[in-house]
Amino acid sequence: MVETKGLAGSLVRSGLALRRAGLALLAVGLVGAPLYLPAYTLVFLGNLGMYVVLTVSWILFAGSTGYVSLASAVFFGIGVYAAVLWRTALGFWVAALLGGLLSAAVAAGMGVVTLRLRGAYFSMFTLGAVELATSATRWGEAHFFGRVGRIVLPVGQETIYYAMLALVALLFATWELVQRSKLGMALRCIGEDEEAAAHIGIPTTWVKVAGFCLSAVFMGCAGAIMATRWTYVDPRIAFNLQLSFIPVLIAVFSGSRRPYGAALGALLFVALEDFLITRLPYHYMLLFGLVMVAVMLYSPGGVTVLAGRWWEQVLAWSRQDRTGSPR
Amino acid sequence: MRSRKLWWTGLVLAIAGCLALGVASGWTAPRKEAILVGVAFALSGPLAPITNATIGPVYDMWVKEVNARGGIQVSEFGRRLPIRFIKYDDKSDLGTATRLLEKLILEDRVDIVFPPISTGFLYAAAPIANKYRKVLIGGPGGAAKLEEIMPNLPYFFQVLNYSRSQMPVLAAVLKELGLRTVAVVHHEDLHGVEYKDVALPEFRKAGLQVAFVKSFPMDIKDATPLLKEATAAKADAFVAFAYPDQGFLMVRQAMELDANFKAMYISVGVNLSAFRNAFGVDVAEGMMGSGAWSPKSGPGARRFVELYKKHFNTEPPDWWGQLYYYASLEHLQQAIEAAGTLDNPRIREVLATRTFNTVVGPFKYDRDRQFRGHLGQIGQWQKGIFEVVDPGRNRTAKPILKPAWPKKR
Repeated sequence: MVETKGLAGSLVRSGLALRRAGLALLAVGLVGAPLYLPAYTLVFLGNLGMYVVLTVSWILFAGSTGYVSLASAVFFGIGVYAAVLWRTALGFWVAALLGGLLSAAVAAGMGVVTLRLRGAYFSMFTLGAVELATSATRWGEAHFFGRVGRIVLPVGQETIYYAMLALVALLFATWELVQRSKLGMALRCIGEDEEAAAHIGIPTTWVKVAGFCLSAVFMGCAGAIMATRWTYVDPRIAFNLQLSFIPVLIAVFSGSRRPYGAALGALLFVALEDFLITRLPYHYMLLFGLVMVAVMLYSPGGVTVLAGRWWEQVLAWSRQDRTGSPR
Repeated sequence: MRSRKLWWTGLVLAIAGCLALGVASGWTAPRKEAILVGVAFALSGPLAPITNATIGPVYDMWVKEVNARGGIQVSEFGRRLPIRFIKYDDKSDLGTATRLLEKLILEDRVDIVFPPISTGFLYAAAPIANKYRKVLIGGPGGAAKLEEIMPNLPYFFQVLNYSRSQMPVLAAVLKELGLRTVAVVHHEDLHGVEYKDVALPEFRKAGLQVAFVKSFPMDIKDATPLLKEATAAKADAFVAFAYPDQGFLMVRQAMELDANFKAMYISVGVNLSAFRNAFGVDVAEGMMGSGAWSPKSGPGARRFVELYKKHFNTEPPDWWGQLYYYASLEHLQQAIEAAGTLDNPRIREVLATRTFNTVVGPFKYDRDRQFRGHLGQIGQWQKGIFEVVDPGRNRTAKPILKPAWPKKR
């Protein structure tokens, strides 16, 4: 009777192989997406990619060290301005790369100065940094160039999609590498007990700076990519404070410190948001807030914990099946 | 064995069901039931108050009016079609606004799209609408820089007036009042910088002396240094290129300091009925702002005011844009009826070439697809009415020198 027990049983039996096959299938499906998906779904996926990049790169640093950074908007905005500066002259891909590098450079500067701060002080500073970036850019544009907004040369929807896909893949790979490296270990140590980490000889400030820079690279790239979609940017649009809070919200919402969980959280988050702002535009904020409160009240670990619990139940059910326990 | 069989049967049935549904929906030729009109604009976030005070109610009112008359006649379908209006909230976020605009066009397949709020968002929306060959009639927003990109955007139409037409008139009005020196302050956003750049040469051309030019941050909390400096410079006129919250702050603090100028102009905000209502008729007396039109501007303007009162039981809250937004919706309807189709390229041709009959009178775009027949450029509150004080035929009242702030009782 063992072999007759339906889908769930076979899922468990082929466990790992199936997961690999599933991932391969997903990869092929995503790469070929522009061939068969409706045009707007592609736009949606590109946008989802942006949220995934912001969230996962945020978790890459904050998830292990426990330092809540609200500077995401700064790094994203720097990427946006990289596209403004170099999109036309050097092309889309180079501009995206430079956006990432420039963000990392700024993150290094910011990190050296501020990562000696702990807890809420660090968060406060990063929040202030967004305002600083907005005001400084606006002032610089007005005084040196006599203008405020800039037009960015657009690229096709498919290019944006593939760029985001590549960035997400690269970010996931980076994640795996970091987790297996000394850097990842050091970051986790800092998250658990920074004093102890310092005592066992981890150069905590430098490790934090490295982690901060690494997360900024991806945010900067994402900014440069999205700027070519927005076509018009000004300082307020580039350094949009919402983009600082959204990664934190998605992280809380998904409750996962792993990239797949965070990506799933981002998908649910974006789908929910999309549903609310299009179906119930006048009640969007209220309902969105209620959902967030509900998640925190009833599943403090986030939606992925909830999903995990369901998955456990499926597994338990199939195990029961396999052992042929009487119905 | 039975459970497996059941499972497979279920799966096959489900797939068959999906296929059948898909084919069925493809087969039934879509009979056009309504004209789909879509907009993604700010219903939450910092731009939401602008939506609610200006263009939002005008859309609602127009849809109600059109549907009450049975819809818009589209000869292609041989009958009148009512409007189904799809509204999305872009959260005042540009990324969301561009995405939702594409959703409206690609997924909801709307026949007509309306623009988002504010100039920056218009800049971003225009290329998208153009890419999909959708007519986009510019709503709240407009800037001289738009002229640079207009040639590449044949589907974009500019309705509202802005710095280029308003500043020469402001200079002429200040001159007519016999003023000599002007203090100019501006915020550092697109609007402030552009108006300042256009205004300064116009003031100088008119022989006005610019006492000083100062910029201020967007989140200004204290305008007293600016006001004091303007007073010290013995400026006759205080000219501010500012958004409503900033302008209201300046008026409040000027009253506190008892800083009096012979003329005081604030680019955005004074044109709102909310300004007069918040400060009172006495304080508003003599204050100048952009716009402008008044019920006295003509029979169309009077008709619009009556219509607005009928729908919302109050006078129009905005004496700059609302009349033009409504006119642009009227001419859109006329263009659809003339084209006899919902095919946007053909509607575009009609829009670009014909003269329409609207609440602002005859409505025609120039060669650059900009409307220039506005009923006024500069307005001034006089006895609770926002009068047009432009020199020439648009004038509904002569400009007056601003009286000193009323003494507190």
